[in-house]
Formats: sequence, C-alpha cells, structure tokens
Amino acid sequence: MCWCPAWAVSTARRADASLVQAPVAVVERGTRGPVVCAVSRQARAEGVTIGIRRREAEARCAGLVVVDRDPAAEARVFETVARAMEPITPTVVLERPGVLSFPTRGPSRYFGGDDQLAARVLAVAEAAGVPDARVGIADGAFAARLATRSTGPERVLVVAPGATATFLAPWPVVVLGQTFGDRPDEGAAFADLLARLGLRTLGDLAALPAPAVLGRFGLDGAHAHRLACGRSEHTAPPAPPPPDLVETCELEPPATRVDEAAFAAKALADHLIARLDALGLACDRVVVEAETEHGERHARCWRHEGGLTASALVARVRWQLDAWLADGATSVRGPGIPARSECDHDEDQATSGLTLLRLAPDRVVPATTRQLGFWGGDAAAHDRAARVLARLQGMLGHDAVATAVVGGGRAPSERVRWVPWGEPRDEAQPAPAPWPGAIPGPAPARVHPDPVPAELLDEHGAPVHVSGRGEASAPPAVLRCPALPGGGGAVVAWAGPWPHDLRWWARATRRRRAFWQVVVHDDAACLVVVEGGRAAVEAIYD
Amino acid sequence: MTAAALPRRDEAARARLREVAGRAQPLTLARERLLPVAEPLGELLPGGGLRRGTVVSVEGTGATGATSLAWTLAAAATDTGEWAAAVDLHGTLGMEAAAAAGVALERFPVVRNVTSDRWATVVAALLDGITMVLAEVPCQARVGDVRRLVARARERDAVLVALPAPGATWAGDAALRITSEGGTWAGASHDAGPITGRVVRVRVGGRGEAARHRVGALALTG
Repeated sequence: MCWCPAWAVSTARRADASLVQAPVAVVERGTRGPVVCAVSRQARAEGVTIGIRRREAEARCAGLVVVDRDPAAEARVFETVARAMEPITPTVVLERPGVLSFPTRGPSRYFGGDDQLAARVLAVAEAAGVPDARVGIADGAFAARLATRSTGPERVLVVAPGATATFLAPWPVVVLGQTFGDRPDEGAAFADLLARLGLRTLGDLAALPAPAVLGRFGLDGAHAHRLACGRSEHTAPPAPPPPDLVETCELEPPATRVDEAAFAAKALADHLIARLDALGLACDRVVVEAETEHGERHARCWRHEGGLTASALVARVRWQLDAWLADGATSVRGPGIPARSECDHDEDQATSGLTLLRLAPDRVVPATTRQLGFWGGDAAAHDRAARVLARLQGMLGHDAVATAVVGGGRAPSERVRWVPWGEPRDEAQPAPAPWPGAIPGPAPARVHPDPVPAELLDEHGAPVHVSGRGEASAPPAVLRCPALPGGGGAVVAWAGPWPHDLRWWARATRRRRAFWQVVVHDDAACLVVVEGGRAAVEAIYD
Repeated sequence: MTAAALPRRDEAARARLREVAGRAQPLTLARERLLPVAEPLGELLPGGGLRRGTVVSVEGTGATGATSLAWTLAAAATDTGEWAAAVDLHGTLGMEAAAAAGVALERFPVVRNVTSDRWATVVAALLDGITMVLAEVPCQARVGDVRRLVARARERDAVLVALPAPGATWAGDAALRITSEGGTWAGASHDAGPITGRVVRVRVGGRGEAARHRVGALALTG
C-alpha cells in the first residue's frame, strides 16, 4: 500500500504554487461548521491538528492559508500518480484519493524482493511529484495501511509474511473504527466499547476466542477480530463476480462534460447496486471503464472499505470521469511535476467524448452485515418520486429539479440554496449566526431572483435615496412596479430602511444597498431594494 | 406436513376462494382518500381536506395571499409523509416561506424555469409519481392540455393544485376553487416597524359538496 500523506494539501499546492512554503490547512464542511481535514507539515508544527474548527486553526497559527476541500481535484491529480504506478503492476487499486494499493506477490518477485519493490514505488511516486509518499507492505490491506502510518525516516515498512499479528498487537483498538467504511460513528462507538471493556489493543482483542467475540459483538465484532488476528478481511474468499453483473451504457451523443457522463453513471450505479442487493451481495471493488470516440479505453479499479453504496460508487465514478475528461485547461499541474509525467498525462487523457461507460464489480462478498429497513414505509413513495424526478432531470437537465435548503443570509433571495435532486442536501446547519440588517417578520412567499425594476418616489415625485449612513432622503409615498397588482400605487405603510454594506473589506466586490418594506394600496406588501440609486421589487408577500 | 393435509385443488375449493377474495376486496371510502388539511383552512374545506384525484385551483390577484395558501396545502401533504412537488415557471417561489408554513423541504422537489411548451409534459410526469403537485399555470396553457391533466390527476390519485397567473382562473374542471381576497397587514404603519402577519379572507367554492360557498378568515404569515 502506498500512502501520500495530507493529499488534500498536496492537491491545493499543485493548484496554487504560492502555497508550497506556506502553512496550509484544508477544511471540509462538517456537522459543526468548517473542520480541518488535512494540514501541511508547517501548520502541524504550529499546533494545527485534524478535526479542529477552522477558527481555532487560524487562532493557533498566524498566516495559515485555509483552502476548501475539493475531492474531484484530489482524484484528478491522484490519477497521475496511479498512472505512474502502472508500469510496476497492472492491478493498481485506488482506495481513496491519496491511497492506492496492489497485490505485491508478482511485482515483488519480479523486482527482487519487497524492499526493492518499495524503493521502486517511492522512486516512481517522487517522479510523479509526491516526495513524501510512504509504503507499507503486509498481509492484507488493513495491516498494510497501518504499516504506512508507522514508517520511519526511510518511509518504508515491510511486515514479514506471517508476522502481521505480532505487528498489529500493540495498536490501540481505535484504528478498528476506520474499517467501518460508511459508518464511522458506529465504528467509533464500537472501538470505545472495546476500550471500556478493558480491551485496549488489537492484541487483547485477538487473544479472545473467535466464537465468544462473535457471540458478544455480532458480525462487526467478528470482522474486527479477524482483522486483529491478521487474517483476511473476508470469511469466504472473495469470488470473481459472474460476468453478467457488468453494467454497460452507451452514450449517444458522446459525453464531453463530466456532469453528462456522471448522470449516466448514476443510473448505471443504481442499477448495479440494486442487482447486487437482489443477489444478497455487496461489492467492495469496482472497475470503472470508459471508451472514447477515438477507440481509447480507460479502466481504473476503486476499492471501498465495507462495501460500496450507490452514492459512494457514483462519487468515485464522478472523480474518475473528472480525471479522464479534464482537458488541458482544467488539469492541475504544479511545479513539482517533471516534464516526462506531464507528457504521459496528456497522452492518457481522453481526447474526445466518452461513448461507452462500464461498471464491472471486481470483487463481490456476501452482504452479511447490511440490513435494509424492515418496514417498507416511505421507501415506496420515495422510489416512485425518485423515478419521476430522474426522468424529469433527463428531460430538462440535472439542475432543473432541485430541493431547497434554507440557510443564513440577509436578503430573502440569499437565504435559500438549491440542491439538484440526487445530490446530498447537506443540511448540517451551522449555529444560527446573527445577520445584522436581516429583514424581520414573515418570509415573503414570492422572491424574484432578478429584482423587478421599480420606482420608489417621495411625495414630491423625487426618487427616494438612502445615504451612506442609512438615512432616507424622504419617506416613500409612491411605488410603481409592473410586478405588483395594478402596477403599484400610493404607499399605505412602510418600514425601513435596512441598509446593507456587503463585503466592505473588498473594494472590487463591495455592494451597498438598502431594503424597504412597503405596503401599497389593496394591502399588497413587498420588499423593495435600492441599490446605486435604482429601486427594484425583490419579493412580494403573497 | 403431508400432502394429504392440504385442501384439494378442485373446482369447489377454487370457487370458495374466489368468493372469499371478493368479500375481502378492499373498499375505499371517499373519506379515506382525503389528505387532511390542518385546522384554520381545513375547516373551510368539505370533509376537512383535499380529495385525492381532484384538482384544486388557488387563485388571487397577485399579493392577496394565494401563494401562502398553496404552501399550507403543500404542508398538509408533506405532514402525512407524502411527497409534494412544485412547478415554478419563473423561479419566484419563496422556499423560506414554504418552510415556515411547515412544508418538509426534503420531500418537496421543485422543477424550476419550465418553458410553457413543456409545462404540460412536466406536470403530467410529476402527477405520475408524486401525491401533490403545485403547478403554476402559464397564461397560454392550452385547454386540451388542461383537460388531460385533470384526467391524469384522477387516474393517478394525485392532487393537482393549480396556481393560475395573478388575476387569471384555472380553465379546466376543479373540485375546489380557493380564492384569497387579501386582508390588512398587522404591524404596518408609517415607520412603526416591520409587518408581522395578516388575516386574509378566503372564499372556497367548487363542485358537489363545495358548491355552497364558504367564506372564512385565515391568519397567514408571509
């Protein structure tokens, strides 16, 4: 297994060369706001660690550069590393951007031993622009991953065959939490339970008899016990799947954009997972294959701990397509990549649209630990709705069908975010922040995304202005706008103005505007925005 | 179990099975096909809710509260765990107001920026799989399309809530016509502070039970 530490940081540095010497932290939006998910060495020296909040990280390290996480770019750049490994072995498997693995038996014999192979992998990674890659070789993916974590200054650790259990014994049980794949919370709870029962290391767990562990902790426990003993992750040896499980889809016309291809991939992934479910199987390795108009074929294998779900599969296909379809303008190259690998990169890119997409499960295992909801419940209604919405997306485009997420903001149009159907809604709300100048009262039922130009006049017929200090030139008396019933008219009541000074710290994007709540005759209430001396109706209380 | 213990598959047994199946066939009362609507508006509706398979038209003149009434109806659907969807012609539906009215936004997909030539296709497709469809009606909607949509709603047991353009009416058949006639805003005066809510006059008419017009006052926010 080859691990590139803090891959998210390396990706950010390749995109922006000015970050190479600076302390960098990559943040990801978690349930409690932006949380650091990767840090550079310079930042770690200042005390920035993974899991702390963005603000805390900035407080610990002055001059910290904070970058948002971009999994698609990470996968795209990692593809260059994966390609560089292909001369060593044809069976490269990506775990996630930053980690790849392959069976070492063949290559090891060819290069003359595990140590020679590891040195070779490091040299290749360095040539591909990853000077700090680490290599761990052990029996099984779990032990190999831990081996990469405990390498010394030579960045290689080879666990001799058969010595895996001894190597694993001193590790704390917390590391088992990562083997739960999509259920990190359950994994953490399980590890916590073991620790509270006095089983602090993998060696303690391995010393227990397997039937007792199965009886007390169920299938998850048995799985963990197998890992702790240094045995294979699977009870039954994973079988090559029957060839008829391969899902193929021809793209006509050829897809040249990632979202077009990803849309097709979504249907393909859903179908594949549904068929595997029906057979009682789960897939933990899948080969994504694509063919282009020029007859090129690309294939890449992805592995996932704990079985791939449809959404996890779609995310991986999307990353992979992104890497293949990225053209010269969007492909990220940094100063660290030497010219040779740059050429390779160009040669290997898809030179035209994709005509065929294939998902082939590479390894299937019995889906023993997955249990679907017993009561159908809302699932039937959900499936029915999902079918219709997917059809409409096919007809009108991916973005045309969306659900709304209400978030923070000052103006009504800024408070709603649209999430295309099928993408995660990510409703994790940060704590309600104060929005100075937010319009109080009920939310308007009609919000114009482009405010409708209007005339807001005082009693002398002059336009109403709002000064820089938020003072109105005169109370509004007449509002005319085609969006209002009857074209507007005399103002019956009003409130405001609420002045907003947006992004005052940046001269180029600074905006100043003021909101008025105005009720005209016939009790039509609306929200008027005045910006740059021009008034417009932004929302109507209908 | 031995084969002898099983009943014999003869004609008489089949006939008896058929007879039992006939008696046990589910009978759905009209009352059971109702989507209940919560109190203030529900009181005005015949049976206290919306009958599935019918069309409801919600009309107003632009700022009289028709959209807010539509949110109340959508909230009634998502409250019972059903799905609702909206067809937004110009991208102007205010989702914050919908959330405030109680609509579960995760079960309320919105199809936005639909051109008028595709409008009928989109609404028909939504009626296929979603219990309540709130559709803004373009001014140039064809009568033939409208009639087909009414039939589609009946066939699929869905509720079509039609939102005609301000001042216009739904050209097709509607079991219920809910008209919002506006009302005075509370809290509104000359710079006394923002508006807080209002009481709108609502008139409910339609076919059958609803033919006798009912008028009520309804407190709305938004």
